[in-house]
Amino acid sequence: MTDLPVTEAEAEDLGPITAPLGSRLRTTGQRTKDAVLAYLFLLPALVVFTVFAYYPLYRLFWFATHRASRFRNRPSSYVGFGQIRDTLTSEDFRSGLIHSGTFMLYTVPLGIGLGVLLAMAAHRRLKGIKIFQTIFSSTVASSVAVASVIFFTLVNPEVGYFKDVPWLSLNKPGSAMFAVSLSSVWQNLGLTFIVVLAALQAVPDELNEAAMLDGFGAVRRFFRITVPLISPALLFLAVVLVIHALQAYAQIELLTGGGPGTSTETLLYKIADPKGIRSIDVRAALSIGLFVLTGVVAAVQYSLLSRRVHYGD
Amino acid sequence: MATDATTDMADTALSGTPAGPDTAAPATADRSGDPGVRRGRVGSVGWYLLLGALSVLVLFPVYMLLLRALSNPLAYVAKGQPLYPVDTEWDVWTRAFTEANLGRAMGLSLVVTVIIVTAQLITSVLAAYAFAFLEFPLRKLFFVIIIGTLLLPIEVTLIANVETIRGLHLLNSVQGLTFPFLATAFGIFLIRQGFMGIPGDLRDASTLDGYGHLRFLFRVAMPMTKPIIGSFIVISFLGAWNQYVWPRFATDRSAWQTVQIALRTIGSDRVDRLNIGFAAAVIAALPLLLLLIFFQRQMIRGLTAGAVKG
Amino acid sequence: MSGVTFDQVTKRFGDVVAVDRLSLEVDDGEFMVLLGPSGCGKSTALRMIAGLEEISEGLLTIGDRVVNHIPPRDRDIAMVFQSYALYPHMTVEKNIESPLVANRSARVDGAERTARVQEAAATLGLTEYLARKPGELSGGQRQRVALARAIVRRPEVFLMDEPLSNLDAKLRTQTRLELVELHRRLGTTFVYVTHDQVEAMTMADRIAIINDGKLQQVGAPQAVYERPANLFVAGFIGSPPMNTVTGTVTTDAGGTFVVTDAGTVEVADPGDAVDGNAVVVGVRPEHMLIGDGTESTALRGVVENVELLGHERHLLCHVGDALMVIRQTNDAPPVQVAEKVSLVADPAHLHLFDPVTTERLN
Repeated sequence: MTDLPVTEAEAEDLGPITAPLGSRLRTTGQRTKDAVLAYLFLLPALVVFTVFAYYPLYRLFWFATHRASRFRNRPSSYVGFGQIRDTLTSEDFRSGLIHSGTFMLYTVPLGIGLGVLLAMAAHRRLKGIKIFQTIFSSTVASSVAVASVIFFTLVNPEVGYFKDVPWLSLNKPGSAMFAVSLSSVWQNLGLTFIVVLAALQAVPDELNEAAMLDGFGAVRRFFRITVPLISPALLFLAVVLVIHALQAYAQIELLTGGGPGTSTETLLYKIADPKGIRSIDVRAALSIGLFVLTGVVAAVQYSLLSRRVHYGD
Repeated sequence: MATDATTDMADTALSGTPAGPDTAAPATADRSGDPGVRRGRVGSVGWYLLLGALSVLVLFPVYMLLLRALSNPLAYVAKGQPLYPVDTEWDVWTRAFTEANLGRAMGLSLVVTVIIVTAQLITSVLAAYAFAFLEFPLRKLFFVIIIGTLLLPIEVTLIANVETIRGLHLLNSVQGLTFPFLATAFGIFLIRQGFMGIPGDLRDASTLDGYGHLRFLFRVAMPMTKPIIGSFIVISFLGAWNQYVWPRFATDRSAWQTVQIALRTIGSDRVDRLNIGFAAAVIAALPLLLLLIFFQRQMIRGLTAGAVKG
Repeated sequence: MSGVTFDQVTKRFGDVVAVDRLSLEVDDGEFMVLLGPSGCGKSTALRMIAGLEEISEGLLTIGDRVVNHIPPRDRDIAMVFQSYALYPHMTVEKNIESPLVANRSARVDGAERTARVQEAAATLGLTEYLARKPGELSGGQRQRVALARAIVRRPEVFLMDEPLSNLDAKLRTQTRLELVELHRRLGTTFVYVTHDQVEAMTMADRIAIINDGKLQQVGAPQAVYERPANLFVAGFIGSPPMNTVTGTVTTDAGGTFVVTDAGTVEVADPGDAVDGNAVVVGVRPEHMLIGDGTESTALRGVVENVELLGHERHLLCHVGDALMVIRQTNDAPPVQVAEKVSLVADPAHLHLFDPVTTERLN
């Protein structure tokens, strides 16, 4: 074992990667061949990522720092990072942020709460429980477009089933965002249900039995035992739902077209700019804003998950 | 420590009522939420009712869609929007194909999805293999590069990628629809996780047997991780079929609409044609519904991979 | 102080009968071990005492109360699970005190609670670990936390479901002793489930052997060892297991004998065995001797293997169709493999069983 190419300590340093398997038996010549093979295997993925993830990032900055010439055949001219700053402090960006944030506020707590409710109800030994479990997870099969069409039948001001319900009205700014959010909440139900149910199933039966014997009633068992033990899954869901919220586009295009006025235009909607009212430098700057936002979410996720949320009370 | 346990225990009052072979403890004792104790029949009925009510809540929107697909839109509204179909036009289903070209859209979606899933499988398996079984310099760097792409989803890079595709004259093409998605960090991590579950001894044994990397990959690694690969394929299919943002902006001709984009325009021109649009939505959702029914386990495993241990 | 009484208790899971008309009295303060192979129903019986399984038929009494319909928390019992079932997100201290804070009626507050927790922790040597979480403890330590949690509520009955099975061999021996000492100190009724007959023999005041949901025999360890009530108990208790051979009873002026394919054995006490009937003879490995071939009644065997254990020898011999084990001390004359031997069974230590009912005859 003394000539292990990667020691325990070095393996730790590599973070999530552990020492490769079978590494003890490779000669130097073989290791070179291994390295070449590895690069070969990584090449396809890396090419795709470079061309469609990293190169675009550079291009976004380029677009955001150049202004297109008024003349078609003249190149764009460099105007500097000030343009980015201007866009990111503009009313347009701020309203996009607020709308995205509102959307998040509506979809994340409701989504997780309803998911927990459904999972708690369906986590028991009853005949035919699997049917209910399939029903509750069914919305995961729905695309955003389908979910939007479904909610069109429910909230569209002319033909929607609930068109006369005031707090679902697409004609007023406040309720419009809420109605659109509901379509995402419904669509996310399948995912939240599946994840919370899996987390509940991972809690050993004996823990609940021990708690019963200790004398905890059902409600106390839920808050003191169940919730802390499923909290990692809940956190995972929170992150996923926040990301879904940042990606919200189709439901807005299909239900409100950004309206009434511009009151349901999320950040991504403004970037996508389906009505073509923004110039590319503005849209690029907005994209950079979205990029930073995504980064913040990822950073929060990383820091929270590495602290492994448990509660002792 | 001599505890006077006997007297202490005498102090502990015996709780509960004495004697009587049938103490009237309620059958609905607080066992809610526990699979631990089998309950009496009274409790079960209550749960069935609750589950039924929740099911109605979850399925009502779907019911509404079906209802509206099966009803003439104008007649339906005129009748005050009842909960049963009104003036069903049974030919909406075929009209969705003949009048709205749903067939072409579905065909295109299928082609695009199959290409994306296949490509993602190949690129993910290869990259995962490299990380799991091969030594090479700069591992950490490449790992970070791949993690980094999680910060650059298609929503962030949208307009730049559209320009790239436009520059390559690949707008309105299968290539344009598929190229950005031929690899995914999610797949690489998921399959890598599966590969790392293979005992190291197995790799050593196969090296001694003379297995090269490729043979090991196809004869040992992939067969042993079939469940995870299956889950990945299902999740990947789900994502590719349901895509909206990229197909929306990578194409601008109606002939090149995938099924999700087609839903935007089908039946939306006239109010009395809305039911075609609704029927199209039902048809668009069918493949995934079938996927859910037949591959429920794989789907669940794929979705919970990051969230729940075991 | 309470005993536990099973009165014709039956448990059905659908069509499967897991526990079949069990009638058993556990005396107040006794250490009762429920012993049997996997799936025999012993754990189910234990869980019925706890209230984690509903009773299909029969009456279960704890102390002087019938508890069939009383919820677990009101039965005044404590249970140690095989997996310990510690709350992973709570410290050891919080785990131990949880029965005292669980619900309003059992709630113990302030100084009294701290005192009881400290006392339980001290009894089990956990005082320095109170601030740690279960994940940071070893298997043995976790088990002690589970015990502490059980004793802190000062229950009438302690239930234990194979608590030693997750420990390594050395720890097991040590913990066995600690559990016996704990029982002596607390004097509470212990009901303990295991499949390991060594645990049962060394720890129990009485053993209840269960197979297929039915009670086979109940009695003190030595009594069960010396007079097994049927073939199952005979084969289950004792290691190496009792040797058995089938034969026919023959009575004549010289006494009672059993004639087998491999020879004859003399029986001192034939009990209910009837002359001419088939019978199964059981004899423990330590009650067989290698003779010199001159005995009038002996079994013929061929040595298959000699196992040297250090403190004694085991001879594995083919006797007729059966494989028998004979225990020998190291200073007995050595024996070779493939040697033909003459085996003499001690007539006073023979067990006769009816081949059909498997019940003991003598």
